[in-house]
Amino acid sequence: MAALAEGHAPTIALDGARKQRGSLTQARIRWMILGVLIGFALVGGRLIQLGMVETDQTIEGQTRDAIQASRPPILDRNGLEMAVDIRVPSLYAEPRRIIDVEEAVQKLRTVLPNLSEEWLRNRLSGDRGFVWVQRELTPAIQDQVMRLGIPGIDFITESKRFYPAMNEAAHILGSTNVDNQGIAGIERHMDSESIALLQELGLARGNALTPVELSVDMRVQHVLHDQLMDAMTRYQAIAAAGVMMDIYTGEIIALASVPDFNPNEPATALVKDTFNRITSGIFEPGSIFKTITIAGALDSGAVRVTDQFDARYGVRFGRYTISDFHGKNRILSLPEVYKYSSNIGTIRIMQAMGKDNFRAFLSRLKFDERVAFELPEMRVPTVPNTLSEVGAATASFGHGLSVSPLHMVTAYAALVNGGNYIAPTLYKRDVAEAETLYERVLSPQTSDVMRYLMRLNALEGSGSQMNRAAQGYRAGGKTGTAEKVVDGRYSSSKVTNFFASAFPLDNPRYAIVVMVDEPKAENPQSGTTAGWNAGTLTGRLIQRVAPMLGVAPDFNEALDRQIVPPALR
Amino acid sequence: MIRSINIFLIILSIVMLASVYALKFSIEGTAAERTALTARIAEQEGQLSLLKADWAVLNQPGHIDPIVRRHEAELEIAQVKQEQFGSFAGLPMRPAKPDSAAMNALFEAIAQGIDPIDAILELEGIE
Repeated sequence: MAALAEGHAPTIALDGARKQRGSLTQARIRWMILGVLIGFALVGGRLIQLGMVETDQTIEGQTRDAIQASRPPILDRNGLEMAVDIRVPSLYAEPRRIIDVEEAVQKLRTVLPNLSEEWLRNRLSGDRGFVWVQRELTPAIQDQVMRLGIPGIDFITESKRFYPAMNEAAHILGSTNVDNQGIAGIERHMDSESIALLQELGLARGNALTPVELSVDMRVQHVLHDQLMDAMTRYQAIAAAGVMMDIYTGEIIALASVPDFNPNEPATALVKDTFNRITSGIFEPGSIFKTITIAGALDSGAVRVTDQFDARYGVRFGRYTISDFHGKNRILSLPEVYKYSSNIGTIRIMQAMGKDNFRAFLSRLKFDERVAFELPEMRVPTVPNTLSEVGAATASFGHGLSVSPLHMVTAYAALVNGGNYIAPTLYKRDVAEAETLYERVLSPQTSDVMRYLMRLNALEGSGSQMNRAAQGYRAGGKTGTAEKVVDGRYSSSKVTNFFASAFPLDNPRYAIVVMVDEPKAENPQSGTTAGWNAGTLTGRLIQRVAPMLGVAPDFNEALDRQIVPPALR
Repeated sequence: MIRSINIFLIILSIVMLASVYALKFSIEGTAAERTALTARIAEQEGQLSLLKADWAVLNQPGHIDPIVRRHEAELEIAQVKQEQFGSFAGLPMRPAKPDSAAMNALFEAIAQGIDPIDAILELEGIE
């Protein structure tokens, strides 16, 4: 430009040529800077714009991580899987990308004919970014849908919980919902602990999660469940339940209650009567409570194992007289009171201890509060705060108060383990760890006497049916036949039967409580009292599980003589 | 001087351009490979989870028990009874000492050609 301007010989030149060129260059530089700035501003602006765009990562209100989050596998005490995660494809649609809704509906229904046409059409039309069509399908169906080639239809891999043991450990495990969140049992407990947080943070993915080890032994659990199912048909019972506990660590080895449900189909849990009778059922325990009363009285020092009690006449309270079921009508020694399950004798024993001391002893064994346990399905027991004379008398043989079978097994464990209360747990725990949690409720001497009494009842008393099946395993326990209240009266035809036991009593390891609800006689020669059903069931159970738990049979009678208290030898 | 530097710089920038693009494409290739591998791993993990679940089912006592029951008669198996258990303490003690004098007498008799078994066999009428 400057060169051209020079060529035309301007008439007036105020500036020198060099200066003119200089200012021209400066102007060009300014324009260039402006141009570059605009360029940068454009690029920067676009960057900010891109930064502002929020891509929708959620799937119907949940983050993608939460959908794909997995749960840790649950193992039994021997490492056998009780719950695992499987990856399953779930079908979703992006309605705003679907071109021909009608075509998509028709094609999808060829593979998934159970979807309603109307519902599917509504689901696929509209401008939404993500809708589920059907969750948790099989890989075969995924293949077929992919082959249809519908635009805007795709799959996402979800984690689904699977319980290989089906019904067997249903009440322990609980179940999960379609979003893989625990809704019952130990699954729910795990969520309340830590996994929910991990899932939310998106960390709970893949196989990296450490498995959760339970205290349950699946072999024992299977035998227990098998025996309970057998009891349902054998005695035409309406329900049966059982729980087995390691008396030193408080670990629950097996826990089952039938009727139960299949955790793989959580909807089956909603059927009536499938509740967990061990933790969330409370019952009048009946005569199995006599063991508690006698233990309390012996421990208080008010009675001794050599004492005699007058059971010739019923105990009168105003208009009521409490008498015995199979009365001996004579003076009974303490072991006889236990052996013949004498109501009168038990009342006298409780009275010797004093009703307030008796009530305090029940509190010491935590009968008036919920058991500290992992399962969320728990009920508060009903034990009167203060006992009247009559109330204390009936409570001494297990009527007029309601507790869960879990309370009973925990109490029995404390009675035979040397007198230490240990709260049950579903997680693995060793003895050293448990010892820090021990609460002394009985003296070891009383515990020794209780072992003897329980074994005596198996040898000579109502537990003999049990002992016949479990020969050699030195098992012993107490029967309890609790009459049910029908229309405000105790009914003698409808009963709830219990058998609370421990084995091997020369060196006890396990406590068991078995319950059979409204059993009928197996055959005309048998009865409906607890020894016939809950008792024999326990016997068969011990016979099968004792070898699994490393308890060898021993027919040596010296073992039984050895546990007789010195005062009675 | 300046010209040769310029030429050198131009060639250098062309080489750099080419190498940067080559790098970019190779990284894209690697990324695609990685995505493919991730997808394959995810797929195989899915299959693995199914296999593990299968294995867990097959291993359940509740699955094995009915199979055992079905084949009880054929395999001649039954539930173990208490009497079938034994312990080392239950084994009888070894006899105090072998009767070495009687053994010596026996060996000497055999060496001389008199087998006491022969007498028994003859008595029974067997050869």
